[in-house]
Amino acid sequence: MRNYKIVNLFLFFTIVPCLLMAQSVEKNSLSLNLKYYNDNNITHHLLVQAKSKINGKFQLIPNIPVTFYINSDVTKENLLGKGVTNEKGEAILEIPPAAKDSWVKSTNQNFVVISNTTKQFDESRGDLAITKAKLKLDTLEGKIIIAKLVALVDDQWKPIAGVDVMVGIKRLGGLLNVNETQSFTTDSTTGGISAEFKRDSIPGDQKGNIVLVATIVDNDIYGNLSTEMTVPWGKKMIYTTNFDHRSLFARRGHSPIWLELLAYTIVVAVWLVIIYLLIQIKNIKKLGVE
Amino acid sequence: MEKLAENKIIEELLPQKFGKQGQIWVISLLIVFAFGFYAYCRQLYYGLEVTALRDYVSWGIYISNFVFFVAISLVGSLITAVLRLTNVHWSTPLTRIAEIIAVSAIAFAGLIIIVDMGRPDRFYNLFTHGRLQSPIIWDVIVITTYLFISLLLLYFPLLPDLKILIGFKERNGKWLQKLYEFLGSFWKNKPAQFKITEKAVNILSITIIPVAFAIHTVTSWLFATTYRPGWDSTNFGAYFISGAFLVGAGGVLIAMYIFRTHYNLEKYITNEHFDKMGKVVVLLALIYLYFNINEFLVPAFKMKKSEEEHLMGLFTGEFSPIFWFAISASMLVPILILIFKNGRKPKWAFTAGILVVVGSWFKRFLIVTPTLLHPFLPMHDVPKSYMHYFPTWEEWAIAGGSLAGALLVITFFARIFPIIPIHETIIEIDNHEKL
Repeated sequence: MRNYKIVNLFLFFTIVPCLLMAQSVEKNSLSLNLKYYNDNNITHHLLVQAKSKINGKFQLIPNIPVTFYINSDVTKENLLGKGVTNEKGEAILEIPPAAKDSWVKSTNQNFVVISNTTKQFDESRGDLAITKAKLKLDTLEGKIIIAKLVALVDDQWKPIAGVDVMVGIKRLGGLLNVNETQSFTTDSTTGGISAEFKRDSIPGDQKGNIVLVATIVDNDIYGNLSTEMTVPWGKKMIYTTNFDHRSLFARRGHSPIWLELLAYTIVVAVWLVIIYLLIQIKNIKKLGVE
Repeated sequence: MEKLAENKIIEELLPQKFGKQGQIWVISLLIVFAFGFYAYCRQLYYGLEVTALRDYVSWGIYISNFVFFVAISLVGSLITAVLRLTNVHWSTPLTRIAEIIAVSAIAFAGLIIIVDMGRPDRFYNLFTHGRLQSPIIWDVIVITTYLFISLLLLYFPLLPDLKILIGFKERNGKWLQKLYEFLGSFWKNKPAQFKITEKAVNILSITIIPVAFAIHTVTSWLFATTYRPGWDSTNFGAYFISGAFLVGAGGVLIAMYIFRTHYNLEKYITNEHFDKMGKVVVLLALIYLYFNINEFLVPAFKMKKSEEEHLMGLFTGEFSPIFWFAISASMLVPILILIFKNGRKPKWAFTAGILVVVGSWFKRFLIVTPTLLHPFLPMHDVPKSYMHYFPTWEEWAIAGGSLAGALLVITFFARIFPIIPIHETIIEIDNHEKL
């Protein structure tokens, strides 16, 4: 019986602290979602989104230090750069020109992102593989927009069919359809799409310029591609301002005519009376001297 | 016999030297004024930092004082113009009292605005950079105009009295004699001169009424044209005018009692004057009470969120003691006193007058300050001192100094000129006897 007591005490003082410690160091798992962006076939950037399931819901995790690598090997040579996730749980990295040598080595490209260990999360990894592609945008007479998707296959740029391309007009950070169709699918012969521009009355800048955008969003093979083109198809915006107009809220010297007339008439009328009365004092004086 | 009576009136109404009480009064006022001036010098040296005025309450007791001065100045038009044009003759002995209150109050209203600006040279900017669309510019124009008209209204009826004063060369002394001669040596009691004077006073009486209404309406628009809880009212012009008439009439009750007692003017400022003036105050207090009910009941009935905080602050919150004091002192208690015949006896009427004036000063404070502490957007990330307002000693001293200054003007005026129009009183008594 006494032996049991000793065993029980031993178990209590060894297992319970271990359990408590184990509970205190338990960390949530972090998921890193890596995306590739090609902007105007010129610049490329990577975006990683850090998420974690907390209390049964996925939540975006800010302040996670992340490191980006080109190719699948996490080596110093393949290091692209580092970042920290923002309040939306996102970190963005422009692929630097220094990575050109690694970039041109193959037709497909792998990227890796690694999150550093933090108090709440263990190290985590996100992988992405894309096929290099270009989205070209052009116009034809009669306000026809054409976009072509080509991808690097066996070291050659070949048209790609069956990919959804959205064509629109850049408005306040969003895209406005150029006609009633929102999305077009590239054909098999040219890898292109064609869209008729039906927004003639849309306001442009002072020269009537608007920005056309062709974009492929979250494609599993090619990533996110976006190409812009400025065309003078919009309505010329004539800049008008009421800054110099006469109004109750205008600056000095720009009060409404009716107010000026009213105010000055009243002021002049009352002060004419005062002047008249001052003249009367003079008349009283004259009478006193006579 | 007539001549004898006339001489007696003149003797009784001539300005008198200060007695012992008068001297204490003047010295006290001079001390308060000097202390206020010292505080103003400190404000000039250190800037508006010495005040409790901050980002939210940028109009404190200076502007409350300004509104109070503008309000009390309205009495000039009430007693002199409104009663004259309506052929009310009992107010004749009170016209000069009312006019000098108006002149001194409006002069100090202008000065207190310059105090509120901080740097006095900014007043010049009002003319060089002022916008015609701004009620502030209208106020500057209308205050200047009202001051001129009030001065003229004081001066024209004074001319025949100056002739009388000049006749007492030995009594006057060198300086006063020179002053009287400078102001009125040309007055020869000629019928043509009287005709011009009478015509001028009539013109002034007609002109001063719209100008007086304008001055107080424009002052109310300084508030009402800004979109803020407590000020966003279409009723503000009428509300201000009715309040102004009341405080002015209260001021006259006080002045009547003091002049009557200290200059032994019981024969000229009679119990009947107190009785009639008391009735006028009751009427004006009732009108102002009506506008107050409008001003508070309607927004309280709707209780919009933004108004709620402001109104509850007045009714039961931070400002409730001042609010209920102001309502009681400026309206309810004076009505209760003056509604009874015995309450319209001089002493009680004087008490009621004091209550009206003191209550009205606090009422102006309540119009200006609580609204500024309740902006539409919540007050965030500001020092605690920004969220409350209690004037510093410099502000109290300057405000007190300005009030003392206005009283000094009235006091010195009464020392130099007859506070009851001598010539008009003689004519009034003469006409009365003929009747």
